[in-house]
Amino acid sequence: MKTWKKFAHVNAGTVDEAASILKAGKAAIIAGGTDILGTMRFEILPDYPEILVNIKTISDLDYIKEESGMLRIGALTRLEDIAKSDVVSAKYTALAEAAHRTASPHIREMGTIGGNICQLTRCWYFRNPDNRFNCLRKGGRTCYAMAGDNRYHSIFGAVKKCLAVNPSDTAPALVALNARIKTNKRLINAEQFWDVAVPGSTILDMDEIVTEIQVPTPTKGMKSSFIKFAIRKSIDFPIVNCAAMVGKKDARICLNAVHNKPYRALKSEELIKGKSINEKNADAAGAAAVEKARALPGDRNKWKIQIARTMVKRAILACA
Amino acid sequence: MSEKEKKTNEGERKEGFGHISRREFLRDAGLVIGGSTMGSIAFASETEAQQQVKESDVAKDPCSEESADITTIELTVNGGKYGFRVEPHWSLRQLLRDEIGLTSPKDWCGGHGACGSCTVIMNGRPVLSCLTLACECDGAIIETAEGIAKAKHPIIQSYIKWNAFQCGYCTPGFVTTAKALLDRNPDPTEADVRDALAGNLCRCGTYQQHPPAVLEAAEALKRK
Repeated sequence: MKTWKKFAHVNAGTVDEAASILKAGKAAIIAGGTDILGTMRFEILPDYPEILVNIKTISDLDYIKEESGMLRIGALTRLEDIAKSDVVSAKYTALAEAAHRTASPHIREMGTIGGNICQLTRCWYFRNPDNRFNCLRKGGRTCYAMAGDNRYHSIFGAVKKCLAVNPSDTAPALVALNARIKTNKRLINAEQFWDVAVPGSTILDMDEIVTEIQVPTPTKGMKSSFIKFAIRKSIDFPIVNCAAMVGKKDARICLNAVHNKPYRALKSEELIKGKSINEKNADAAGAAAVEKARALPGDRNKWKIQIARTMVKRAILACA
Repeated sequence: MSEKEKKTNEGERKEGFGHISRREFLRDAGLVIGGSTMGSIAFASETEAQQQVKESDVAKDPCSEESADITTIELTVNGGKYGFRVEPHWSLRQLLRDEIGLTSPKDWCGGHGACGSCTVIMNGRPVLSCLTLACECDGAIIETAEGIAKAKHPIIQSYIKWNAFQCGYCTPGFVTTAKALLDRNPDPTEADVRDALAGNLCRCGTYQQHPPAVLEAAEALKRK
């Protein structure tokens, strides 16, 4: 097994302490560690962090509580705890299901919700060991997926010429549930959280740390669902996933792994809003979701369009 | 390959010939071990363990003297207490294998966290020891397949009865994961078992044998 190159390690006592270390640069946060330790072991990034700041030692960031019309989840809450939580499963079904479908049981026992939304892309050029492809997303000049094998890449075009997709399962659920993400600096609408120019995965500043996820309690009659297509039932990242929250008056539908950030299917929302949830309406909404989708030259990722359409349809039907 | 790894491998080979047990070999080789526990649950106090580290050949001390970032951690492994000086870039798996001599956390996928072979139970959770930093395990209570076998947990007999392995390489990962499930859920359904073991890979394809084996172990536990 490849061992890590040396780094320093600091156990942070408070969020402010962790932020101040991050601000000095060349530092990275470690929470569950399932993403960062992989990127470091295989040296996929041009820069290796000199310091890892452990935030697991910060108290009071691991909780699930429902109060004043809102579900509040601490950033350090393990995905498995969210998946198993009765309150999340009952009222915030999409989030519980998304947490449950993330990775493998072991990764869910280690990985946190804060880490899941901040994870780096799984683009196989980006992830190639020893920074073999110094791509656009790492500050290079080329997106290797454009001319290379792009069967898992974006169907909604590039962002600054980068074709990588966001691999998070919980991200679309948070967008569909209209969640907010609290950091040590501000409160961000989930929809804007990944709205970022390449390089980078989130809009967070260098010294910004996610501290809490806030999900407003869905109004009566609203139901939510999450559905995922992956090659394997477990361990895998999504090829396409979709979360939906649909009721009589409102609908929010969000796809992920189809674009640089979670992709809200606004047209589908308009189509299904106020209509009865049946096969025909759900199918029409699915078709509308991929109206703007385009396969990349060579059609290698064309299959994802059909899958995205079906994911939207099934996510809506699951809200019936 | 480091000197120590060579010795460990040599020990395993010798065991294969049946001349000398791995336990004896490693003890005789004078490796850096927390007491003479070697996979047993014999108790080694923290000071003993630390002393052994210090007494060992300096060249063999894995923490090089100039490294400034050494932390001292205390942890409980299979009921025995250990103290170690660790560097930040050590994985828990490395610590368990190379320092304590517990060889059940396997390396298969190479450290991606994709196979479940290195699973140990840490504070009640089944976690991947290849993606856990040793320096973050201070105060942790860890259980490996060796400890589960030593405690005569019914899962072991059940796995033998149901032939839930062929080559056996992935088995410690399955056993620890299944035991963590039974600790939390003494009455699992078959779906629960399949769900809990969904992160463990087995290239021999023994998947069908695992749910009945775990369910039978659950029954045996209830009778106890």
